[in-house]
Amino acid sequence: MTAVPADRLPCGAVPADLLTQVTEGTAPRDPAHQRSCPHCRAALAEFEELWTPVRELAAERVRAPADLLQSVMAQVRELSRANWSAVLHDPAGQTRIAARVVGAVARLAAESVPHVSLALGGGRVATPPDTAADPARVAGPDGEAATAVGTAGSRVVVDVQIAVDHGVPIHAVAAVVRERIAAHIAQQTGLVTTEVNVAVVDVRTPHGGG
Amino acid sequence: MSGSTVDADRPADPLEARWVDLARAGDEQAFAALVRSHQDRLYAVALRMTGDRDDARDVLQETLIQAWRHLPGFRGEAGFSTWATRILINRCHNAHRARRPVGPLPEDDTAADMPRTPAAETLAVAAHRREAVRHALRALPLDQRAPLVLTTFGGYTHAETGRILGISESAAKVRAHRARRALADVLQEWR
Repeated sequence: MTAVPADRLPCGAVPADLLTQVTEGTAPRDPAHQRSCPHCRAALAEFEELWTPVRELAAERVRAPADLLQSVMAQVRELSRANWSAVLHDPAGQTRIAARVVGAVARLAAESVPHVSLALGGGRVATPPDTAADPARVAGPDGEAATAVGTAGSRVVVDVQIAVDHGVPIHAVAAVVRERIAAHIAQQTGLVTTEVNVAVVDVRTPHGGG
Repeated sequence: MSGSTVDADRPADPLEARWVDLARAGDEQAFAALVRSHQDRLYAVALRMTGDRDDARDVLQETLIQAWRHLPGFRGEAGFSTWATRILINRCHNAHRARRPVGPLPEDDTAADMPRTPAAETLAVAAHRREAVRHALRALPLDQRAPLVLTTFGGYTHAETGRILGISESAAKVRAHRARRALADVLQEWR
């Protein structure tokens, strides 16, 4: 059995039309007939009863779970840490450079410095776009907060870990690493390096096969 | 949610356009603002599509994360709501495919324990009937359920529904119409 019992009511009206009239609020095809026809009125009453709970359900106020926003944003922040992109704005469009690209440029730059045998690490976005670099936000532990803000911009902070040859002046090597990373990033990506944090994590003998 | 005259596709109010721009550039707070202003409507669609609160929550959460990840590719040709709803519907399809078969609809035994006073009985009957609609919705195939949920329950116009489903406005109208017929048939069958 279907909601639309037959092709035609005894009066000739099409039940499907009456159903549409109820479910979609369309105007009756023949209002004068409908008002006086018992078949039409019975069918309409029937459909009306059928469709009332649908309307009621549609009118129910539905609210998203209270903690949904919070858990979505927690995941978004997590993603931002792992997958941010630096963004360069240009009138013709924007250029996004993935974090791993900046990281790779920084690593290769560091490894091109004499006496640096290995470089690990990556970068992160320094400050929101259109904002001057604020050392308080990017240096030290607060740098984490800058990452947590997750705002992509054209400024990056690079954290790099290097292993240097045994016997070289570490602070001098670190200074060259800093300069070269900033220069390579500017040259290759157009991004501004706000800060390069160098962590010397190992020393190696120059011919140790590292 | 129905009866809302808000056109989710109007060329976006300037504030929302600004939020989208900022979020696209990675601004989480702007994205949070977008989520806050659309989550109820999206959840309503998810709830009617899945018929289950937990599933609706899961699918909406996945949708929003996907929206965040794909925002750079969102060109703003449709409203954010339309775009996010499209992701949502696709995810419902995928979830459905992964989980099939759904199995028989549970027997509804709520009416048996309902109080007997006339007023309560009326309320119980009404609640029971809405429950039947929920079940009937789940009994519809997804390609019918989606246009029905979007129009009748989501308050989207046929044009918006078409954009969400990637079909023309007239196709959306036909599908929504057929889906209403199908829902009425199921409800009639269950009386």
